Parts: sequence; C-alpha cells; structure tokens
Amino acid sequence: MKFKILLAGDGGQGVQTIAKIVSECFFAKNFEVSSIPNYGLEQRGGVSLSFIQVSDKQIFYPKFAKADFLLLMSEQARERTSEHVSADTEIIDFKNYQEIILQNKISRSSLNIFFLGVIAKFLSEKNLISKDDIFVIFEKKLASKKNWEENKQVFEMGFLI
Amino acid sequence: MSEKRFLNGYDVVLEACEDAEATQMFGYPITPTTEILSGWINKSLQNKNLHCLQTEDEVAAGFAVCGAVMAGAKAFTATAGPGTVLMQDALSMAEGMRLPFVALIGQRGGPSSGTVIYSQQEVNLSIHGGNGEGMRIVLSPSNLEELYSLTRKVFNYAYKYRFPSILLTDGYLLKTRQSFSLPETKIENQKLLALVDETSQKNIRNIYTLEKELMSELEKNKQDFDEMSKEIVEFEIYSGDVAIDDVENLVIAHGIVGAVAKEAVDELNKQNKKVALFRPISLSPFPKDELNKLAKKIKNIFVCESSLGQLRDLVKQNLEYEVKISGIFKPAVGVEAEEIVDLVLSNK
Amino acid sequence: MSKDAKFCMGCGHPIILQNLYKILKNNKEDQKSVLGLDIGCSLLAWDFLQVNTFQTHHGRVTPTMVGFKRAKPEALTFAYTGDGGAYSIGLQSLLWSAKRNDPVTVIVVNNSVYAMTGGQTAPTTMKNQITLTSPVGNSEEPIDGLALVRAVNKKAFVARTAVNNPKQLQEYLQKAIESQKEGNFAIVEVLSYCPTSWKTFGIETNNFLEGLKNVFVMGEY
Repeated sequence: MKFKILLAGDGGQGVQTIAKIVSECFFAKNFEVSSIPNYGLEQRGGVSLSFIQVSDKQIFYPKFAKADFLLLMSEQARERTSEHVSADTEIIDFKNYQEIILQNKISRSSLNIFFLGVIAKFLSEKNLISKDDIFVIFEKKLASKKNWEENKQVFEMGFLI
Repeated sequence: MSEKRFLNGYDVVLEACEDAEATQMFGYPITPTTEILSGWINKSLQNKNLHCLQTEDEVAAGFAVCGAVMAGAKAFTATAGPGTVLMQDALSMAEGMRLPFVALIGQRGGPSSGTVIYSQQEVNLSIHGGNGEGMRIVLSPSNLEELYSLTRKVFNYAYKYRFPSILLTDGYLLKTRQSFSLPETKIENQKLLALVDETSQKNIRNIYTLEKELMSELEKNKQDFDEMSKEIVEFEIYSGDVAIDDVENLVIAHGIVGAVAKEAVDELNKQNKKVALFRPISLSPFPKDELNKLAKKIKNIFVCESSLGQLRDLVKQNLEYEVKISGIFKPAVGVEAEEIVDLVLSNK
Repeated sequence: MSKDAKFCMGCGHPIILQNLYKILKNNKEDQKSVLGLDIGCSLLAWDFLQVNTFQTHHGRVTPTMVGFKRAKPEALTFAYTGDGGAYSIGLQSLLWSAKRNDPVTVIVVNNSVYAMTGGQTAPTTMKNQITLTSPVGNSEEPIDGLALVRAVNKKAFVARTAVNNPKQLQEYLQKAIESQKEGNFAIVEVLSYCPTSWKTFGIETNNFLEGLKNVFVMGEY
C-alpha cells in the first residue's frame, strides 16, 4: 500500500505546519512515512510544497510523479503542481471553499488549520487515520500557541464541511 | 530494539557528528546544508563542549577545519554546490598535508548555482576536485541508517588513516523526514592525535623545492591509500531471490538512486531478467575488485544516476572487461524505480 | 637558533622572525607558540625557527590559525604573511578575523611586491612603482590594510613598524602577543627589505625602505 499526498500553497500560508502534523500522525500510527518540503528557489514567498508518502514498506525516494491526494491553497500552487496531477488525483481546491471561508470569517492565518480539518475528514473516510489521531498531534503542536481556541474551532469547521 | 524516531536527514547527521565526539564546526550557510550549521549552533547552546563558527565564506571554513584538526580537535564542515567548489582549496591542503579533514557534502544541481536541492553531480569534485591525485575517502549513503553510520565512519576513517574524508549525500536525503533507528551495536570512536602541540617541535610543509621530494611523498601516500582501501572499501550487491551466479545484468547506482534501484531489481527479477544491483558505498576507494568479479560474467551494465555520467565514468575507469554500458543520466533530477525497470526491459 | 636561511641576501624576513623568536624564548613561550605561514616568501620560514611551524595556503593562514586557536586556546597562534596574503587574496579573511576579534596575532611582512613569484604588483605597491605586472608604473594607490582593520575593530592592537626599527619592532611584537593573551586580535605590519625585487644594492635598499615610510604611516593605529 502506498498513499501519496501533496500539500501546496504560498510560502507563509503554513503548508509545512500542517504537513508536519499529518506526517507525524501517520508515523505515530506505525506507518512508514516519508515527507519532504520543496520550496521554490526563493526561500521566502514563492511556493511551498510538501510531498508526503505513506506506506507499509520502506520508502526510498522522497518525491513522486503523481499524487493520490492534492491540497491546493493558492493559485501559484496550482500552476506549480499541475505536473503531479493525474485523472485519479483527488483534489481539495481552495477555490471551492471561498464562500465558506468568507461566511465563517476564517482568518488568513488559520486557513491552513481549516484545511487540516478537511484533510482529516478525507483521510478518516479512507480509513487511513482517524480524526482523533490527527487531533492528538495537532493539539501537541499548537495548543500552546496563541489562537488555539480559534484554531480548534476552525479545525472542526474544516472537518464538518 | 532501537527506538524508532521520525527524523530529518540533517538531524541524523547532526546526531552522528555529536556521537562521533566532534567538537568544532566551521561553515557557511548554503542550501541544502544550512540546517547542519544552524543545528550545530543549537546543539552548542545545550552542550558547552560543542563550538560553531559561521565563517565569512567556505574557504575560511575549510581552512579553519584544517587548523582545528592540526590542534587535535575533531572538526568538520558542511557545504554544497558552489561551496564544494570553494572547499577544494582547503581539501587540497588537507590532501597534501594528510590532515583528517571531515566534510559533509549535500549535492545540489550544478554547475554554477544550479538548483538548491538535489543531484549526484559532485562525485568528481569530491574525489578529484583538488590539484592532486584524489586521495580522499568518499562515502555515499542511500538511506537514513547509512547517513548515520557512514557519518560515523567518515570521522573514524579520517582519524585512523589521515586522508580528507567526505560524506557525499544530497539535499533530498538531508531534507526527507523518515523513520530512523540507531544501529544496534555501539560504534567506537577513533582517537584524534594533535599534529602540533607543545610536547614536540614540528615543521610541516606542503610545498617542495625538489620535484622528486614531492613525488616520493606522494608515492608513500599512495601506498598508505592502497593499503587502507583493502580495509575500508564498501559496496552492496543485491539480487533479491536470484543467485548471484545467474545474474546477467548489472544495475549500478549509488546514494538514494541506489536505494530506489533495489525496488527495480525486485520487479525485474519477477520478470526473470536476472538483474543485480551493484551499489558502491565507498566511491573512493572504489570497489574495483568486486565490480570486476561481477563484470566478468555480465552482459549489460546499466548505470543510473542524477548526473550526466560521473558514476558511469568512475565505473569505466575501474572496469577491466568489455561490457556494454548504458543507463539513465538525469542531472539534478531524481530517478524512479519504474524508469530503471523500463530501461532494462527495453534493452535488446 | 635557526638553520641556514633560504631567504635572499638582505631579506627582511629573518630579522622579523629572529626578533619574534627572541621574545618567545625569553618569555618561555616558544613551546606553546604555533607559527602558521602564508604562501609567498613567508613559506621559506617553515623550518627556520625552533617553533612549531606549518605552511598553509596563499591568503588562508589567518582562518587556519583561527581554527587552531579555537581548538586550542592555550596556544599562542601567529599568522605570518606577506602583503599579498594579507591584503589581496586574504583580505576578506583578515578583516573578518579582526571583525570577530579572534585572539590571533597576524604579522604582515610588507615589501610592496609579490616577491616569490617574481615581483608582481601587490596591494601595497606604490603609485607609479614599476613591477613585473605594471611595467609602466602602477596606476593605483596602495592600500592601508591597518586602517581597514581598525575600522572593524576598536580593541585590537594595530601597528606598523619596520625591519630597521628593531626596538619598535620588538615593542610592537610584544604588545601584539599581549593583545592575544588579553583575548584580542592583533596585527603588526612590518615594512621589510626586498633587494631582489627592488633591484637595489647596499644602502639603496635602506633608502627604498625609508621611502616606504613616507607612504605607510609608522606607529600604533
């Protein structure tokens, strides 16, 4: 079994934060995990990607050609990741969530957490990991930061969409 | 059973350096090895025995390592790409003066500024980048476990044999986060004796007036290097369920491409292609004898690398038999198992 | 005290080196001293003194001694270099070592040419001076390396003297050593004889040196 996840957004949107949560969650559940960030040449701004592979066997190469699952958090990310999309790639596209985000006044800085909730829903429906599995890691990493209450709510929102 | 942890390659390297009892790091920030510099600085905040200096450039970093090891401190540097180019000045001095210089190199796309993340294009530089005969130890890890154990070896070999020793990895392995366990058996550390101290008087040169003096010095060094080679040459031969005597095709790859190639070998042998992977772990000294033992009965060699032929040329240099060589040569880009499978399957 | 000099007749290096050794021996600090050499005529000193000595690379002696000192703070480390190693290829590292206030002592032997390689233009070649690579006269002004060092470091001992000022030479070398012991950077530039490159004989050599003193200010900075 091998599952390939690609998370993509603009630098500064917090892609790496949620990538860490997702990959650590799978590791905690004893999967073989490999994750690698891929920034553009510009270390600031530009695109921020995370290639995450989950498997029951050792993973040798950190990148992959086609993603099974793709999260797009920005237009720039869309262009940058088009080569990793196949007919079978399941995509979560920020464009489809604009209204919900506006309605619920989800702040720019919590956008990644909102999508973490969406991802959690998606992965739990695939029976890979549960919402609680993700929440445990999410809490461990971010409970002590400011905006924790807001983040918790936003995560719920993402999960329930 | 060692505990499994979820670590980045650079975390593993840093841990290996600390376990090797290194105390001094000199370096200049360059992607993809910057995390080793900042990581060591963070370590030095917890452990007062560790020291770090960000120098004005890679040249200064390299020479500071030379000075530190002469004084008897276990020192190292980490660099990449254009930094590896600059490091050749210090590496040459280390080669000439037999200094136990340890360098961690994270290959990135080249030449020039290239890309900031990955390639296998610094093989030539690592071995022959100086104005000498390439008497350097170069080890290439294929996964996190090897990243750890080969870093430990690079330190130990440098101190035991006194040749500049390089851990040649890449930005992918350094930046990938995967599960990692320490080796079961404890690795002992080689002692480093100061070259220069107050108990004796030494006058050491690296320039000679008489050509014959330099030649004889180099012949002595070569003798040492050749004797050492027998002890440290390292490689892996993987043929899955196929008996090695039945193998007809050889895939040759190193580093993470070597790891990927194992997957390809399994797939190909399922299709009865009788393939083995020959993976040099020490690029210098190169496992020449073992390569030739295999090559004697091989029909095809497929070299797979993220370069336009640096590994292939190394293989050709060492090969004593006429064997058809082809391969996958993708400078700065990774190689996947499917590509290797397709290549071998399409071979006539 | 030292082996037969490989230096040219009339060279200033042996004067500087022997003065340095005298001080170290008198202070009983010869055994803990380490002398690093740049590649230029300074390399000839590799087996000259009864002090631990090693050659490095051109322009790289300062960072090498920085590494040595950081590994072994009890050692007295000297970076011995010419004007090229100090102010041309090695300028970056020299200024950075000064900027960091590394406790090493740099001795710059300034003869205003690249002597070992035949007499090419150096950072300290004077305006209109004729050299192998400025055959119709140097078009640039020489560099005042000490002013640059002072600009990045207020605490260091920074001074210029000459091989024909033996008392001042000794005084400054002594002060430079003290500076290292106090944990500060030190640099002493010594205007030095080079009759071979200057193509001077006898008293002309001393006259040339005196001429350098009109361009390079003597004393502490």
